[in-house]
Amino acid sequence: MSGYATPGFTDKLTAPRVVVVGLASCFGCQLQITNGEEHLLDVLGQIDLSYWQLASSDPMPDEFDVAIVEGAVTTEESEATVRALRERADVLIAIGACATTAGIPGMAADHFLERPSHVYDRVPTACGDMIAPRSVGSVVDVDYEVRSCPVDTVDFIDVLQRVLYGSNKTVSMRTMCGDCKRNETACFFGKGRLCLGLVTTAGCGAKCVKLGRPCNGCRGLSPDANLPSAREACERYGVPVADFDQALEMFNRTDFALAAEQ
Amino acid sequence: MLYRVIDSEELPSLVSAFMKDYEVVAPVKRDGSYVFDVIGSPDEIELSYETTISSPKKYLLPPDETLLAFDARANGVTDFAAQITPRVIFGAHACDINAINRLDLVFRDGRYPDPYYTARRDATLVVGLSCMPQSTCFCHLWDADEARFGYDLFLQDIGDKYLVSIGSVEAANILEASCKPREATDEERIAFRHVTRTRQQSFDHAIPDIQDVAMLMDAFHDDPFWEELGGGCLSCTACSAVCPTCFCFDIRDTFDPDGKTGRRERIWDACTSPQFALVAGGHNFRPTAARRVRHRMYHKLNGFLANHDRMLCVGCGRCVKACKAGINPIEVLKFFVRKGAEDAQ
Repeated sequence: MSGYATPGFTDKLTAPRVVVVGLASCFGCQLQITNGEEHLLDVLGQIDLSYWQLASSDPMPDEFDVAIVEGAVTTEESEATVRALRERADVLIAIGACATTAGIPGMAADHFLERPSHVYDRVPTACGDMIAPRSVGSVVDVDYEVRSCPVDTVDFIDVLQRVLYGSNKTVSMRTMCGDCKRNETACFFGKGRLCLGLVTTAGCGAKCVKLGRPCNGCRGLSPDANLPSAREACERYGVPVADFDQALEMFNRTDFALAAEQ
Repeated sequence: MLYRVIDSEELPSLVSAFMKDYEVVAPVKRDGSYVFDVIGSPDEIELSYETTISSPKKYLLPPDETLLAFDARANGVTDFAAQITPRVIFGAHACDINAINRLDLVFRDGRYPDPYYTARRDATLVVGLSCMPQSTCFCHLWDADEARFGYDLFLQDIGDKYLVSIGSVEAANILEASCKPREATDEERIAFRHVTRTRQQSFDHAIPDIQDVAMLMDAFHDDPFWEELGGGCLSCTACSAVCPTCFCFDIRDTFDPDGKTGRRERIWDACTSPQFALVAGGHNFRPTAARRVRHRMYHKLNGFLANHDRMLCVGCGRCVKACKAGINPIEVLKFFVRKGAEDAQ
């Protein structure tokens, strides 16, 4: 175990300085942090929160230890921001689907250059110098990820504590179906319905399936996803492979494994 | 073994008697499938269930359990207590009882018994229930279609009656108090013989019976078949989640949100999980899905046999249904049939 602090002994002098930065996103993941109201004071007691636009207008300091980044990189300005954060921070945490997979903004990545003209006659300067949307991890090295759309508050705190104190927890890249079996929920494929759990990184406990909805892949393709085998499974269970491929585009448009196939 | 006969109508009163002193878990219907769950009334039990998504393993080895609570400030353990609920697993099929017997070998009967497992096992009564094989069942191949021990009562359906095998005094007393158990008549003994034969003959004989599969696996360890079989693995670990005998676990520390106190947890792990064999320094000694699947099959059909003289697979067929890539022990058996045919040419 390694980390910044000794658990239980954090004080203002030793607490790591943390900044939170939002890029192209709906800000839902930052809201998820504030939604952890019952734990918020506990969490703030373990860090020195030096910058967070959602909480204070104080400008970003020059020095900090941990950078938490939400959102996809969609402009040259945000790309520069991410590079600067990487340079200054010891640890960089990407939170949410937009930051970890390019998420919803990533859907526009294909044929990106033509897209602004579909929306604007003249692109407003407020948009910045737009570039094809990409994940934070495709611009700089990311040390820790909190996946999902939006992130789970407890999951976020858990990752933050990994950074603060170190951890003996394995980060598993297994796909989702095992969690459904642990939950003993009926499989959508048995009903001829598509579910992206076959290829999506596990870790959320298959929340959506527990609530009766198929997985839409917001945690991103697992690096161990077996796309050819998943497509064969779709065929075997009477689910159109084209539907599978299309559904993957929502959160995995910029995934290297998918891109490599095309 | 002591045998008695009760009428089917007496079953609710037996269940109710258990419910007085125990939490009773039994097969119930949920969203088109069956699962073992806590019942509030004997009517909820689905006696004719085929199989359940996951197995009663979860009551002895929970998917997630706290081993101890700690206080990081004191750098010490604050609590070792495991949550133990006196429980009856009601309606377990023979395969699942044989699976529990295998878990007992690992967690209870070894040189270092697991205190958490043993405490749960000691507080658990098992009431078995006879069944007829489904298309995915192959328990008979591993001699697991009959439970010879490991239960407190076993209910063999013989028409509108049950022939009850009695395995413990505790359960015998409850049976005695709640039902009118009587000596079996000759007719009932013949009925028992008849249903047993019918069960034995009802297995799908298209599933190959290869008793020397363990030895063959030693001989064909490097056959390209293993790449072919495991190449389709989706790395989801559904197989081990539904398996009644998969017992691998991981241990991890989780802080409470205040970062001062926390818990040491044991969670189910799986050898088909990509990071299962990842060690310090970043080396993964089973880096591909095919290697992991081969390893799992060898533990089920080869390695455990060498150590414990029985297969770790009990042929319950759950993985046959759970694996979306069609990977299961039946495929291994079929491979050796094909291999035999090739050699004959």
